[in-house]
Amino acid sequence: MLKIDRLTKSFKSRNAVNAIGLDIPEGQMVGIIGRSGAGKSTLLRMLNRLAEPTSGRIVFDGRDITALRGRDLLAWRATCAMVFQQFNLVGRLDVITNVMAGRLYHHNFVASMLQLFDDEDRARAIRALDRLGMAHTALQQADTLSGGQMQRVAIARALVQEPRILLADEPIASLDPLNAKIVMDALSAINREDGITVICNLHTLDTARSYCDRIIGLADGNLVFDGAPRDLTEAKAREIYGAESEEAFSEGLTSTTIGKPLPAAAMIAARPQYALGAAQ
Amino acid sequence: MSEAGFPGTLARSDTDPVAGFEAHRRQLAREKRAMNLLFAALFIAALATSIYVSRFYPDRLAAGIPRIFEYFGTILPHLEWQVLFEGRNEAGRATPGSIAYWFADFGTYVRLIVETIFMALTATLLGAAVAFVLSFPASKNLAPNSTVFWISRRFMEICRGVPEILYALVLVFAVGIGPIAGVIAIAIHTAGALGKLFAEVNENASMRPVEGIKSVGGNWFEQMRYGVVPQVLPNFTSYTLLRFEINVRASSIVGFVGAGGIGSELNRVISLYSDDRVIAVLILVVLTVTLIDLLSEQLRFYFIGKENLK
Amino acid sequence: MSGYTVTRADIDALKLVHPDVFDVRRKRAILAIVWAVVIGYVAISLWYFDVGRFLNASDRAWRLISAMFVWKDIETWQFANIYGAIAQTLAMAFLGTFMASVAALFLGFLAARTTMPFPFVRQIVRRILDVFRGVDQLIWGLVFVRAVGLGPLAGVLAIFISDTGTLSKLYSEALENIDRKQVEGVRATGAGPIKVMRYGYLPQVLPVFISQSLYFFESSTRSATILGLVGAGGVGMIIIERFRANLFDQVAFVVINVLICVFAIDWVSKKIRERYIGEQSH
Repeated sequence: MLKIDRLTKSFKSRNAVNAIGLDIPEGQMVGIIGRSGAGKSTLLRMLNRLAEPTSGRIVFDGRDITALRGRDLLAWRATCAMVFQQFNLVGRLDVITNVMAGRLYHHNFVASMLQLFDDEDRARAIRALDRLGMAHTALQQADTLSGGQMQRVAIARALVQEPRILLADEPIASLDPLNAKIVMDALSAINREDGITVICNLHTLDTARSYCDRIIGLADGNLVFDGAPRDLTEAKAREIYGAESEEAFSEGLTSTTIGKPLPAAAMIAARPQYALGAAQ
Repeated sequence: MSEAGFPGTLARSDTDPVAGFEAHRRQLAREKRAMNLLFAALFIAALATSIYVSRFYPDRLAAGIPRIFEYFGTILPHLEWQVLFEGRNEAGRATPGSIAYWFADFGTYVRLIVETIFMALTATLLGAAVAFVLSFPASKNLAPNSTVFWISRRFMEICRGVPEILYALVLVFAVGIGPIAGVIAIAIHTAGALGKLFAEVNENASMRPVEGIKSVGGNWFEQMRYGVVPQVLPNFTSYTLLRFEINVRASSIVGFVGAGGIGSELNRVISLYSDDRVIAVLILVVLTVTLIDLLSEQLRFYFIGKENLK
Repeated sequence: MSGYTVTRADIDALKLVHPDVFDVRRKRAILAIVWAVVIGYVAISLWYFDVGRFLNASDRAWRLISAMFVWKDIETWQFANIYGAIAQTLAMAFLGTFMASVAALFLGFLAARTTMPFPFVRQIVRRILDVFRGVDQLIWGLVFVRAVGLGPLAGVLAIFISDTGTLSKLYSEALENIDRKQVEGVRATGAGPIKVMRYGYLPQVLPVFISQSLYFFESSTRSATILGLVGAGGVGMIIIERFRANLFDQVAFVVINVLICVFAIDWVSKKIRERYIGEQSH
């Protein structure tokens, strides 16, 4: 159970995130929506403690996350995996090493400096990659991959962390519709099959509607909606998105293709279902 | 507010626009001419002061120039075509006028040049290792806190601010004559000079991989090792090779103060003799430096070229 | 969460499917050899160079360092001499760089492919410049001290020769990288070769030349401080004299002053280049 209590982040005079309070039960798939600059990213980064909250508390299983320091803080980051819009992989390392980097918290200093990973790490990494249909690229250098492939590698890295929570900061904003669907399907499968809480920042409404159990709407750092997708009325959505409504609702964007059936050939090429099923 | 103020300024300029422009142009030209005159005056003053301070007077120069040619005349080798390639005779003596006679101490020179190159290599590796470690705390974007940043920056400035030969002078005094003083002196200077370049490379590195490693629970060292090092390593290698070229030159002169290498022989030969031995050593030094430059250029091309192919 | 535990059997099964991923022996062996060679080389060379002396020299080094930082008899330090020598160093650097710039202005045109039609002349000029550059400035200093005697004249000549070598090369590279169209334009007006140089080439390359000369003035002040070690004038002579007389506190004082001076010149020259040449610092 993740409890967020009046969490605030101020930049100069402005509150990027303004006293947000939330309870997120274990295993939920949560979508956070809002226009750009609404504070979605800041909120997520504070949960992982990549950004320091100005005030307020984050409590997980009764532990105060905001007070963690040193090794406890690293342990929390290892528990609370994060996937980024720009993937944040190490482009010049090979894919398998990128994924094994998810195990760094469990390594001693010398082993990690010498880049010594054991067979168990390799096994975990290759299994995670296989689950996302990326095992064949294991020895490729990461910057030779396409955006969608990189995001799947990033998710594999998150998986080997054995996280309790998976944060995804605009995971599909840089991807084409087909890859966006693959990535969202993967996140959804991880949530369903592993019971990992997934909290996902999404720019577009349709994606959030078709994948998430619960939608949280932010506007100017304030919580303006918290409920099931069916309760999100169009009027409420317009309030969340404001001037960007047209973009968020319009056809032909990333969001609209998701949820509709894909051409069979593309499905076979991508094989997300096969890939996700194979690991089980 | 600027929109509101704009009509006001327009209303004030009630003069003829052409005349206004001309006046402005003349004013600019006057200012420019004044600036140029000022610079010229400053420059001539600096030149005059410099000539006075360094006593660089025409008569001294006139007296000096013939002596330069005279000196270069005395250090030229006397080669004779008939015996040019003649070896040593049975008694172990070389014929005057042959290359063997000119390079009588060839063995010593080669041994010292090899020592010079190894001195440069060891110093470059040691200095680069220190520079590598220091470059991360000395990068603005990577330093864990501002104290560490400040200390490592100042330390590197001190290392590279003092010329290596001064460090060599002091170290020779402390540990005695020998190559180790030169190696450590050059290593100190290299640590500072390379550290600065490495830190600049680090500051241009993408922070995304670093954030990625941070988000999985990696500590600062792991963020550097996985997030930064793979990105910057090709540039580091290239800069280190470039520094090796510079250090070969440096290690050939630290011998002037007794810190080993060909420099001690160079100093001895130039200071004590004025004959063809001077040119003999100089040729070997220039050849070595040029050869090392060419080799290292090929290597750098190999590293960077390989990067560009990707 | 059964998927997360990894047993020996799991690893063996995965090894069968992805043998290349698990085969890290070769990669590790190469890395180990590379590191062994590098560390072995450094250790052996340090041993050969007799690094052990540092262990025995600690009290001597300590006395040296403490002598540098405990300043005694400051009134006998002859400050006029010190600052006179620093001024002389600056003057040597200024004169040497200025003369080298003038020489490079001619030699640069002679060495550039765009302005020198005869390859023979170009090659000869370039080879001479290579020799100027290939011999270190300090060696030139020593040679000129032998030729014209102790004092700043040798230093100015040493700076002049080595800066001429480098500046001419940089100037000729600048000349080879210019925009040909502007030169064509001047030639089209019927100008002779000298006028083509003056109006076609110079306006384009002059800012580059000035900025490079400024940069060399800066680096020459740095190298001029050590020319005195071989007797070629400037503050280096003060340093070596007082060092030989074991006046280490004064040596430290002089070096600190030189450092301040060099930092100041770096700063001023950076400002000038930014302000008047409109160029990013080197």
